[in-house]
Amino acid sequence: MTTVRIWFEKRGMAAYISLLDLQRVMHRALKRSGLPVWYTRGFNPHIYLAFSCPLALGQESLCESCEVKTEEESPDYNAWADALRPALPEGLRLVRVGPAVMKMGKIEAAGYRLTVPASAAAALDAYNSAGSVQVEKKTKSGKKQLELKTWIPCVDYRVEGENLVFELTLPAGDQVNINPALLLTWLEQNHNVPAWQCHVLRTGLFAADHQAFA
Amino acid sequence: MPANSQFIDVRQGLKQALMQVQKPARYTGGEYNEVIKDPANIDVRFAFCFPDTYEIGMSFLGEKILYELLNRHENWWCERVFMPWTDMKQKMEELHIPLYALESKDPLTKFDVIGFTLEYELCYTNILAMLDMSGIPLRAADRGEEWPLIIAGGPCVCNAEPMADFFDVMQLGEGEQMLQDICAEVEKAKKQGLTKQQLLENLAGIPGVYIPSFYDVTYNTDGTIHAVAPNNPHAPARVTKAIVKDLDSFVPPEHFIVPMIGAVQDRACVEVLRGCVRGCRFCQAGQIYRPFRERSPKLISDSARALCQNTGYDELSLTSLSTSDHSQLEEVLDRLNAWAEADHVSLSLPSLRVDNFSQSLVEKTTKVRKSGLTFAAEAGTQRLRDVINKNVTWEQIERTCTIAFREGYTSVKLYFMMGLPTETMEDIKGIADTAQKVVDLYYSLDHAKGRGVQVTCSVACFVPKPETPFQFCAQDRRETLREKQKYLLSCVHSRKIKVNYHDSATSVLEGVFAKGDRRLGRVIETAYRKGAFFDTWEEYFDYDRWLKAFAECGIDPDFYNYRAMALDEVTPWDHLDVGVSKAFLIHEYQKALRAETTQPCNRQCNGCGANKLLGGPCFDYGKNLV
Ligand code: SF4
Repeated sequence: MTTVRIWFEKRGMAAYISLLDLQRVMHRALKRSGLPVWYTRGFNPHIYLAFSCPLALGQESLCESCEVKTEEESPDYNAWADALRPALPEGLRLVRVGPAVMKMGKIEAAGYRLTVPASAAAALDAYNSAGSVQVEKKTKSGKKQLELKTWIPCVDYRVEGENLVFELTLPAGDQVNINPALLLTWLEQNHNVPAWQCHVLRTGLFAADHQAFA
Repeated sequence: MPANSQFIDVRQGLKQALMQVQKPARYTGGEYNEVIKDPANIDVRFAFCFPDTYEIGMSFLGEKILYELLNRHENWWCERVFMPWTDMKQKMEELHIPLYALESKDPLTKFDVIGFTLEYELCYTNILAMLDMSGIPLRAADRGEEWPLIIAGGPCVCNAEPMADFFDVMQLGEGEQMLQDICAEVEKAKKQGLTKQQLLENLAGIPGVYIPSFYDVTYNTDGTIHAVAPNNPHAPARVTKAIVKDLDSFVPPEHFIVPMIGAVQDRACVEVLRGCVRGCRFCQAGQIYRPFRERSPKLISDSARALCQNTGYDELSLTSLSTSDHSQLEEVLDRLNAWAEADHVSLSLPSLRVDNFSQSLVEKTTKVRKSGLTFAAEAGTQRLRDVINKNVTWEQIERTCTIAFREGYTSVKLYFMMGLPTETMEDIKGIADTAQKVVDLYYSLDHAKGRGVQVTCSVACFVPKPETPFQFCAQDRRETLREKQKYLLSCVHSRKIKVNYHDSATSVLEGVFAKGDRRLGRVIETAYRKGAFFDTWEEYFDYDRWLKAFAECGIDPDFYNYRAMALDEVTPWDHLDVGVSKAFLIHEYQKALRAETTQPCNRQCNGCGANKLLGGPCFDYGKNLV
């Protein structure tokens, strides 16, 4: 049994596909592709399919991934990519298919590019000069206070046309998960920067020591 | 196109709106198999509007059929529009986003034709809301040349009158050919620069097309209709329904758009037959879709397989009013079973009937999944079942349940109606007795230890519908229905029996609109202006608001649903001919009062008149059909 990793972009209107829906969408895409993916046994067999590190609704990504299994010993990954590419709906663009080198649990961080309106400069400066920024984080067991400065000490933004752009690397994975939207919510609540005018693009997934997840 | 300065750019507005509503994927489009074309190459732009939520609209087969048929024309583009849920509607109004089509995100005013499907009466206010959200005047009379052609289709057109004021064109019957003919005329009219009036006159010649403004209605002093007469030489005195004579003449849809969010019916489905041979007297579908026509097993199986491959669905259902009446059902199932398992597709048959449910059928459909068993018994006693011509006997229920229980089924759902013509408390008690007999049957058979049976009685309120033998009857009043319900509960003595019952004012309104006339257009508009929409949704339905709207318009709703009609009364739908003659409906009604049953069409023709639509007999009775 080989574990195969599928990399795809999630952009445009596809940003509004929730994780639950994404599973269904990918399941059907795999079925349409006719690829020899492995089905779970049991009374109601279905394609084995696992997603890593779900993205928040409304955010875009260049590096979403999921895993399937196959009984093929050495799959022709290019042929897999060619079969799957046309089976995906608009906005989910296939990047590549390859062997799952690492286990999904190895993911420790994700990189993001944030774009906010130029008018948010003062708000970002205020963030940078603040000693402490307390935000509320929703967890399974309820709401929790969190010091955002621990994870984002400073926002190093640049001007691009009418926008400000900056990169963040934040913990992601099974242990700690920090959603960049926490910063956007803070900007909206404290400095009236409309969150809908801000844009989050995930650009990379990383294992320990900033090694690219593969 | 009229200037729509009141609205902002849709894509721009959506960026904000979609972050602030529930289930944004309802409003994005982009699903697999959606059709995108370049508007520069399009001659006819058609907006297919479903006046309910995305999840409900995406479950309707009719829309899928017409979407694929229209889009096969390279120079036509059919797109989808649904009613936004209340949070999105509010956001769109707040941000001045017009209602738009999912494919192009263009507002409805950019379209040549806007088609609504009239699936049920209570979605009428949503239609007005959707026009309003587009800045389009509601009434046909208020729309000049600059506005798109607003048309309707669907089963409720068999009594189109309550909505007649709002539509330029209404389609009676099956749309496969009719809608293509309409679009062809629209294309011609655009190219030749015809006026809307000229276009309407051309459309009036298409079989099934009804142009409400081409007819005048006059009334008697008692409020009943005196006559409905054409006022335009192009309009026929009676509009005859359009049908597809041969279901094998077109390929069923094989490229369903695959929703991202779960639709109500999120699976592959193939229509195996149209019409129904049974002639249940309460059932409108059984009358208005006559005559019965079948699709060949090969086409069903081939299309189903292609559909599953093109969509990635792993569940397939065969749909129709009565799938097990297909004369070659066993062959259909054999063909499907030949590939379904290998393709990882499971089969379900939603409308099995008690009377011809056989051992081998059970085996063929339960290979993959064992869900609950459902039976439409409809009435609790044999007498009442004879009245409504539901030819089901206790012996058949017993036989079927015995087979099913032996196969391992442990839950049975029985459907009943309450408020049927001639019904007495004896019949109500019969519902509880029938359920009890099913429970007793289960325990009289060998069953796995510790596994109990669950019998659910789902009881609906009967609503008399036009074009049925019971169209002449008055609907039971709510007080009467409540008493019957109470009595039913008092007759149930087992914890194995569960009774589901909906007492709702919505069925009163459904009864009023089902048999309503043109005067109700004002009431619908008034109720809409008072805030009525999503009336099918219990939480938004406000009966008092409707009563106020009736009172304001000086119209008594009871006149429509609580009054029995004389057999010779001119009905609001007499000028709309679905094929079944009024003489037949009267004859059937009289037989009903005598509790006499009528044979199904595949055993014997009862002369309803619908065969004229085929131009010959409906069945070859020389062959052994049953
Ligand atoms: S014409 Fe006869 S066979 Fe045909 S639908 Fe009517 S009753 Fe049935």
